[in-house]
Amino acid sequence: MAKGGLTSRILTPERKLSLQVFFSNKLAVVGLVIVLAYVADALIVQFAPWLIGLKHPFEVIPDYSNPVPQPPSWKHPFGTTYPGIDLLRAVIKAIRLDLGLSVVVVVPGALLGIVIGIVATYFGGWIDDVLMRLTDIFFSVPYLVLAIAIGYALGRTITSMVIALIIVWWPLYARYTRSVTLQVKELTFIEAARAAGASNYKIMFRHILPNALPPVLVQMSMDLGTIMIVISGLAFIGFLPVANIPELGYLTTLGLNYINTAPWTVLVPGVFIVIFAVSVYLLGMGLMDVINPRRRSSL
Amino acid sequence: MSGGREPIVTVRNLRLWYYTRRGVYKALNGVDLEVMRGEVLGVAGESGCGKSTLGLTIMGLLPRNAAIVDGEVLLDGFDVVKPLREYYKKAKRFRPDKNEDVLKRLHKEMTRIRGVKVTMVFQEPMTALNPVMPVGYQIAEVLLQHNMSLLAKRRLARAKATKDDVKEALNFLRANDYAGLIEYVKAKGLEGLEDQMLAIWRRRDLHDLVKEIRILNMCCDPVNPIIESGLKYTARTNKLPAAPVIRQLVRRELVKEGYRKAAEFLGLLDMPEPEKVVRMYPHELSGGMRQRVVIATAMINNPELVILDEPTSALDVTVQASILELLNELKQQTNAAFIFISHDLSVLYQVSDRIAIMYAGKVVEVGPRDAVFKEPKHPYTQMLMEAVPTLEPHELKGIKGEVPDLRNPPKGCMFHPRCPYAMPICREREPPMVDLGNGHRVSCWLYSGGERK
Amino acid sequence: MIIAGRGLKVYFPVKGVRGASVRAVDDVDIEVGEGEIVGLVGESGSGKTTLGRTLIRLIEPTAGEVLFEIPDHDLERYDEARERDDVETMKLISSKYSALRLKGKALKEFRRKVGIVFQDPYSSLDPRLRIADIIAEPMIETGAYDKDKAMERVVDLLEEVQLPPEFADRYPHELSGGQRQRVAIARGIATNPRFVVLDEPTSALDVSVQAEILELLRELRETHKMAMLFITHNISVVSYMADRIYVMYAGKVMEKGPKAEVIRKPAHPYTQALISAVPEVGRQMRRVVLKGDVPSLVSPPKGCRFHPRCPVAIGTCGWTADEVAEALRRVLEARYPELSQRARLRPLGELELEVKGLSASELKDVVERESEFNRALKSIQSMSEEGGRVVVRLTKYSEPRMIEVARGHMAACHLLSASS
Repeated sequence: MAKGGLTSRILTPERKLSLQVFFSNKLAVVGLVIVLAYVADALIVQFAPWLIGLKHPFEVIPDYSNPVPQPPSWKHPFGTTYPGIDLLRAVIKAIRLDLGLSVVVVVPGALLGIVIGIVATYFGGWIDDVLMRLTDIFFSVPYLVLAIAIGYALGRTITSMVIALIIVWWPLYARYTRSVTLQVKELTFIEAARAAGASNYKIMFRHILPNALPPVLVQMSMDLGTIMIVISGLAFIGFLPVANIPELGYLTTLGLNYINTAPWTVLVPGVFIVIFAVSVYLLGMGLMDVINPRRRSSL
Repeated sequence: MSGGREPIVTVRNLRLWYYTRRGVYKALNGVDLEVMRGEVLGVAGESGCGKSTLGLTIMGLLPRNAAIVDGEVLLDGFDVVKPLREYYKKAKRFRPDKNEDVLKRLHKEMTRIRGVKVTMVFQEPMTALNPVMPVGYQIAEVLLQHNMSLLAKRRLARAKATKDDVKEALNFLRANDYAGLIEYVKAKGLEGLEDQMLAIWRRRDLHDLVKEIRILNMCCDPVNPIIESGLKYTARTNKLPAAPVIRQLVRRELVKEGYRKAAEFLGLLDMPEPEKVVRMYPHELSGGMRQRVVIATAMINNPELVILDEPTSALDVTVQASILELLNELKQQTNAAFIFISHDLSVLYQVSDRIAIMYAGKVVEVGPRDAVFKEPKHPYTQMLMEAVPTLEPHELKGIKGEVPDLRNPPKGCMFHPRCPYAMPICREREPPMVDLGNGHRVSCWLYSGGERK
Repeated sequence: MIIAGRGLKVYFPVKGVRGASVRAVDDVDIEVGEGEIVGLVGESGSGKTTLGRTLIRLIEPTAGEVLFEIPDHDLERYDEARERDDVETMKLISSKYSALRLKGKALKEFRRKVGIVFQDPYSSLDPRLRIADIIAEPMIETGAYDKDKAMERVVDLLEEVQLPPEFADRYPHELSGGQRQRVAIARGIATNPRFVVLDEPTSALDVSVQAEILELLRELRETHKMAMLFITHNISVVSYMADRIYVMYAGKVMEKGPKAEVIRKPAHPYTQALISAVPEVGRQMRRVVLKGDVPSLVSPPKGCRFHPRCPVAIGTCGWTADEVAEALRRVLEARYPELSQRARLRPLGELELEVKGLSASELKDVVERESEFNRALKSIQSMSEEGGRVVVRLTKYSEPRMIEVARGHMAACHLLSASS
């Protein structure tokens, strides 16, 4: 790169290589584009709904004057669902909520799991045993059942659902981080840090964490898709006793009675869930290629 | 002392480039080399010089992103790299997937050669061996794949031979008349018997008495009549019989025979208690024993060429010494040629007949061992010798600078940026290989009439 | 002495097997004087790497003492007290100089005064940190310098190891192996330590690069008067670098002494075998005498650890009934097949075994003929026919002590006490 200092400092040869590897994977690029589209949707609905003419960005507005679901038309490109809710608008709003909820579940859950995983693995001994048995307990119960139980116990609100899912989700990250930490722990530079007098805290969070993070981040991005499915699933089964929320799972329930005559009512929100899950998975696969050292060297 | 021998491998102007995301690495830049039948050629060089790549190329074991840009590799007359070279010359743009197709076809042709004519021994014995199979089986597998006929013949010979037959044969051995033994065995239709007898006779860990007892026991061991014709079929055709049940039974018998031969061979390699060892798993063996097993798999089928890539680098120095001694003996006993690749000049001195020094993908000097070691001509070779520490310490001199980035190799002679004798011509043109007599060749302008300023 | 290890034992528990441990270092004494380079030589399983790390407390010893910055006369007093089993005096001296009892600030002081350079330049540098951060870490963590001063020193240190100052902003993957090892050295000496452990610092490098690194280390020793423990399996390298040499085998010190002495006149059979196994350009190696492999460290050989492989072992070197039974069985199978058919061998205890099926005279015959090549048989003290079988009794063994061969040159071998 013949350009000046700043660009070549940001775009180091390694980073350029990462971009090259990523963009050579066509499917990953597709995934990225779609995910970015969802993110853009969420941001616009959250901060500038007037840009696309949404007056009520955080709830769906029923039209009881015309409750029967209408097929797609110029006025309603995705059709309408019971009771008279324009699907296009509803889906746009729902993407924001679902994506937001997924992030709110995955990020804290991952953080909690990562910290527990690193601490347990680094110290080993009884700390490791106790924490790992704890994660085992969580693993032995099917996560959906556990989430529902906790959610019900805390009252069936969106907040309680999020908390329940975080509680159910962190053990996965603890386990995952554990395997990566075990590998990194054996590397010589960790010993070097100890010889240099670094405290355990410093070693864990300055040396182990940055090196353990990349595969965990990939897992996090893929989990966004999984969690969205879970959240939609919970809404679908009626976990949330509220009405008129823009949520993809909830939206599918609205059309259930009309599924034979008006299949789009169920298909449209469902498809948007699936598209996201698939896209974020493809994105994750692309990221895995980027961090995989062998894929970086060969052609 | 390569006079009068003909080459089993001839490499001419070999150029190989690795296409990677980080750029194109010119790993081999015009390698010229021969390996004579029955000799040990040492290939020396530091990291990045291309010595391992050279070994892999001769075996045809290249990754898909390796492009043969020019040159030929004649293995007993067969040009290993021809299809790859032709693909590269025709292709407008190098595409690894197309290259891989060519490689796959090459693999098919090479299966006749690999394991039979040419074998390879790698650095890490633990990764070369399958951890879930007994080592005896892994050695036997080589024979099961390529030479079932020998195993069948051995078994049948023991079935057919009588007490008198083996007594006769033993007399030949006692008289050291190996040729006579082979003739006798042929005449009696007992091919395969001499293989077993010689293997026992040559062992050093057994007392002569014990050897004789074992040899005398190589008779009167009838084969189950069900499989006898199956075995005869295999002995004739080197394939398993087609009939379903017979096939499995014959195979089982051959595996047993394979274990037997594996134990014999390990005995020749100075493995203690080989009959016990063949049933053991790799992790139960020490590093030195494992490397002997790997050498056994490489040599049991009497190859014409064995390529060893840093075979002793992962071993302790005392274990290394015994492996080197073993190799020297194998050199005497077989007529295989060896290519011994190593970065360790002192190790190479112990085993090589001739030695080639590589730098940045080229052979810079090659010749008889004593000539090159005692009077190194190339500045790199000279500086390399001075950098090796010795038991009696001498002043160590390193080589300033770094090995060149092979994505952008220097113009002219590869070594000129680091050479204390660099002349203007060295920066401009690659020096030709000059013969200094006695098979000692060097690629350096100092010997090709370069002018100093 | 800068640092002295006394009676160091490092045992690692074996997973899943109660009571069993890997005795990586087993009762080792070692000392390094100011500004001295001590070479620690051994093959795999010798314990040299573990010992190096234990001296600077990267590994905590299971037993033994590490005395730091101890004047020679106090060390002598400690050794004398140890001879007499005078625990009181030992405790007194330990409390003053022991590195093992240090905590908190004192421990950080200790870490500042010692440094380490590791073998693998590829895994010893954190790939996520810049070179400057890597080199500065010991300075900051031990409190030797504050962040700004440390960064200034980084530039000086880079210069000392002959790297350009721009490298401070680079990442490890941008450097070659030799350059990374220079960074590792810069980090090792960053806090101006008095003692540096170098664990195979050049084993992963090309020989031409190694020469430069070794030269660099010698220069650093000149300028900074650092004491060094140079751990390696390469005897030629240690011959180049060290003032004194320790030779380790299976967790114990076999020989120690001035470099020239140990290499030219090795006293211990293991050292002799080791040196004769080193290949050199211009010299064809003689026939190898050493067979077998490094022993198990979980249940190491009794007496002298080297005795099963020693070509000149004698009766007191550590032979047990199991070993003698095995040796007899093998030699009978290989060379006396008729006797081998009849013989039934069974150990009766550590130093006794019974042989059925052979007469005492037959056995004596075999032993006489084979003991030169089968050293185990040298330990047989008596063979008597008792109740229809031959009872073979072995000499009691003992662990060889360090015996002085010449000034400062000692080896742990029974053969040496037999003479003089």
